[in-house]
Amino acid sequence: MAMAALRREGRRFAGSITAPRPMPAIRSALISDEQVPLGVRSISTQIVRNRMKSVRNIQKITKAMKMVAASKLRAIQTRAENSRGLWQPFTALLGDTPGVEVKKNVIVTISSDKGLCGGINSTSVKISRAIHKLTSGPEKEVKYVILGEKAKAQLMRDSKKDIELCITELQKNPLNYTQVAVLADDILKNVEFDALRIVFNKFQSVVAFLPTMSTVLSPEVVEREAEAGGTLGALDSYEIEGGETKGEILQNLAEFQFSCVMFNAVLENACSEQGARMSAMDSSSRNAGDMLDRLTIFYNRTRQASITTELIEIISGASALEG
Amino acid sequence: MTYRLLGHPQPLRCAGIDCKYRKPKNKAERRQRKRRHPPKLAKSPSMASTAAVPFWRSAGMTYISYSNICANIVRNCLKEPHKSDALAREKVHFTVTKWSEGKPEKPTTRSDDPDV
Repeated sequence: MAMAALRREGRRFAGSITAPRPMPAIRSALISDEQVPLGVRSISTQIVRNRMKSVRNIQKITKAMKMVAASKLRAIQTRAENSRGLWQPFTALLGDTPGVEVKKNVIVTISSDKGLCGGINSTSVKISRAIHKLTSGPEKEVKYVILGEKAKAQLMRDSKKDIELCITELQKNPLNYTQVAVLADDILKNVEFDALRIVFNKFQSVVAFLPTMSTVLSPEVVEREAEAGGTLGALDSYEIEGGETKGEILQNLAEFQFSCVMFNAVLENACSEQGARMSAMDSSSRNAGDMLDRLTIFYNRTRQASITTELIEIISGASALEG
Repeated sequence: MTYRLLGHPQPLRCAGIDCKYRKPKNKAERRQRKRRHPPKLAKSPSMASTAAVPFWRSAGMTYISYSNICANIVRNCLKEPHKSDALAREKVHFTVTKWSEGKPEKPTTRSDDPDV
């Protein structure tokens, strides 16, 4: 009776073997270099099992990176939003004139030092290149000041002679104003400029980052624009206290404005970096999960096929003995 | 490079560029000391006007470094434990590489870290 049941089941399993094999592509991709003939059992399941183990580890790592990025984001987000109040009075006073015509432009590109953060560094570099194209022309000079390793790697490829300064290892200590101020001081001392264009990713939400450009003018250009009228022309209506002249005050203001705008830009970019890393790691864990599901199905199918083959051998051997 | 005052025990009242706080050794030096500081109405190369340039501007500092030094003074006025918290907030560390003609020069690290 047991043999009859086995024979029935053998017929059922035999049916399943002759069914067309789904996903032949995965099989050949996995074992293309092994030339394993159909029916040999243990080697192919071992390969698939190893693959599954490594994919599972990757999924754990990316999940952990996502958690780390989320906690860092929470810490830095309030600081970035609070630092927005630093440059807003400057914009109210001096205006933001991205369309100003100047001879010497310096593009300050802010990027991250570490990778695995999605596409934010590429967008910053793309925007910097576009600004370079826009602001270059006869008798005009455009230079780059690069913060962060990733933008340096990308801009080194085709704009080597336009690079003025490269700054790295900025995020070793938590970001603070003193550090950015020292940095801004360095830039002011080493680079000549009429207008500074700071390119960074503004943090809108965890999934949305806006590539932004802020313009900071040098005091001479501010004086020139003030004569032309507009927001800057209204500066004359302010009364100046103390023994300083308007030119001096404008110089102090311009330097301080640069420092404040840089501080905000660096913080916002750091926020965007953590947010982008969160979403990149999240999609990576999801992809790893999908891959794991596909591999599990394939593994089970391979395992069942090998069991079926064994059963068939047993049954055919038994029936040969009988008959 | 930490932002400390130049060893002045007194606040920044007299700030001639090479003013070192030491007692004049004799009468001639005492007389000379009074004339050693440059007059306040010195012209700085960046200003076109003849108005008074603040001492830090003529010493070559920008407004940013001036405000940093002032902030450091304020932070040092705090009491513990707020003082160490505040001083932890002004650690500086970054590496600058100047590029010339498309080639990077030797990088310089500016850091408050004692190991770097």
